[in-house]
Amino acid sequence: MVLGTIADKLGLEVKTSGGLTAEVTGAYVSDLLSDVIGNSEKGNIWITLQVHPNIIAVATLKELAGIILVNSRQPEEETLKKAEEEQIPLMTTELPTFQVAGRLYKLIGEC
Amino acid sequence: MTVKEIVKILDCRVLTGERNLDSEVKAGCGCDLMSDVLAFIKPGAILLTGLNNPQAIRTAEMSDVGVVCFVRGKQPSEELIALARENEITLLTTSLPMFDACGKLYTNGLVGWSEYKE
Amino acid sequence: MIGERDITKVQELVYEMKVEQVMTKDIISVSPHSLMIELRDLLREKRISGVPVVDEGRLVGLVSIEDFIKCLAEGEIDIPIKDRMSINIKTLYNNEPLVQAVEEFDRTGYGRFPVIDRESGELVGIITKGDIVRGLLKKIEIEYHAEEIHRYRASHFFEDIVADKTTLIFQYKVISKDFNRAGQTSSGLKKTLRRMGMPSKVIRRVAIATYEAEMNIVVFTDGGQITARITPQEIRIDIVDSGPGIPDIEKAMQPGFSTAPDWIRELGFGAGMGLPNIKKCSDQMNLDSTVGKGTHLEITFNLNEKMKLGSGNDS
Repeated sequence: MVLGTIADKLGLEVKTSGGLTAEVTGAYVSDLLSDVIGNSEKGNIWITLQVHPNIIAVATLKELAGIILVNSRQPEEETLKKAEEEQIPLMTTELPTFQVAGRLYKLIGEC
Repeated sequence: MTVKEIVKILDCRVLTGERNLDSEVKAGCGCDLMSDVLAFIKPGAILLTGLNNPQAIRTAEMSDVGVVCFVRGKQPSEELIALARENEITLLTTSLPMFDACGKLYTNGLVGWSEYKE
Repeated sequence: MIGERDITKVQELVYEMKVEQVMTKDIISVSPHSLMIELRDLLREKRISGVPVVDEGRLVGLVSIEDFIKCLAEGEIDIPIKDRMSINIKTLYNNEPLVQAVEEFDRTGYGRFPVIDRESGELVGIITKGDIVRGLLKKIEIEYHAEEIHRYRASHFFEDIVADKTTLIFQYKVISKDFNRAGQTSSGLKKTLRRMGMPSKVIRRVAIATYEAEMNIVVFTDGGQITARITPQEIRIDIVDSGPGIPDIEKAMQPGFSTAPDWIRELGFGAGMGLPNIKKCSDQMNLDSTVGKGTHLEITFNLNEKMKLGSGNDS
């Protein structure tokens, strides 16, 4: 499933330009950067509460497909700037982690 | 959903609260940042977290959350288990990552905190 | 007339608890036929200032150290106690509520009352102000010995019950960077509030706000102190640290703003939600900070009013 479809089906607000055609290999949910560095996989979509610029560095390092910021969190200005630079799609939702993960799990399971 | 059902769905190991398996869990919350848990979680919810330190238990204690489940096979320390027991918190651990744990509970009908009405 | 809501647990207890629950049962007594001289060793060894005089289980008088000194001065120490004891003694019954004892102490200014069993008429105990304070403390299970809970002055506690405006003060020290012990203060406070019978929604708000404040001390400062003052009207928590201080309070109050380093974030804190959380939980919040000196955070929770809609995080 491509990122654009997920954004569409989950009603995510896309904050960056481009990159929505990337194929998503799965999802990784964590708010701890070390955990994501250690355990996420290439092409994963990352669901997190963290809005700090360092999330872009982690996503770039791990070649993640994109990041979903939950619970109405807005990215810091610097984070958004870095996301554009590094071509990491950044999306937001008002839903909490549990529900976004739940819906995405269902969506992935259906196809 | 009861704790017992959660244990079955997530294939959990039960570390404390063996006698509370019939108690009802009202909503799910998956989070590693404790301030967010404190701000949003409802009493009676389950906290799923990858944060394997005593503050996860303290946070549950402060917010009247009776069940904590560590994800991705985290094995908590003896001190942490003792803290959970002392505060009558049911402590579970599952080898599933957070995404699958939230996903399985959600698809089995457990609601998130923003969907749960007291 | 104060409403039921206004009465704290401690005040309730003085109505609920009976004299016999706090009195000293292990009584030292003397016979009326003993001689005054025999009192000397007793008073000295037991370090007491007065002894009930008992004849066949019945209280017949009270003899005090003053009575003994008088005899000594008059050189009449070989006379029987019954000739020198006071016989008009104010007593209390075993099943009277504590509040009755409190009132008698207040009215008479006496230091002790013998306690008589209402059924049998026998002497069954002695009660002092100290017994009442100890009994109440034991009942609400406040451990004096715990390092974190400095014992509030028992004498004040007693006066406060009489004055009907109980203030309980608890003080806790919070150690910087001690992540394993962090949360102990809030945990202790939460348990105390629960024992005092506070409403659980209020307890939850106090616990969450205090815990966030405690974590702020642990994470950002060189250590500090948390003081909780509980009155029938409100719970006030003062969180004081000695530095480094907050440069821009307005910014610090913005959800998501944080100066925490990554290692703090990896411990599950420092996402910039602490202060907004505290504000959301409390009814009133004052934050005062000077860079280089320290921060004083004061949060208040109302106990009188009905819980306002929108206050607390259950909203």
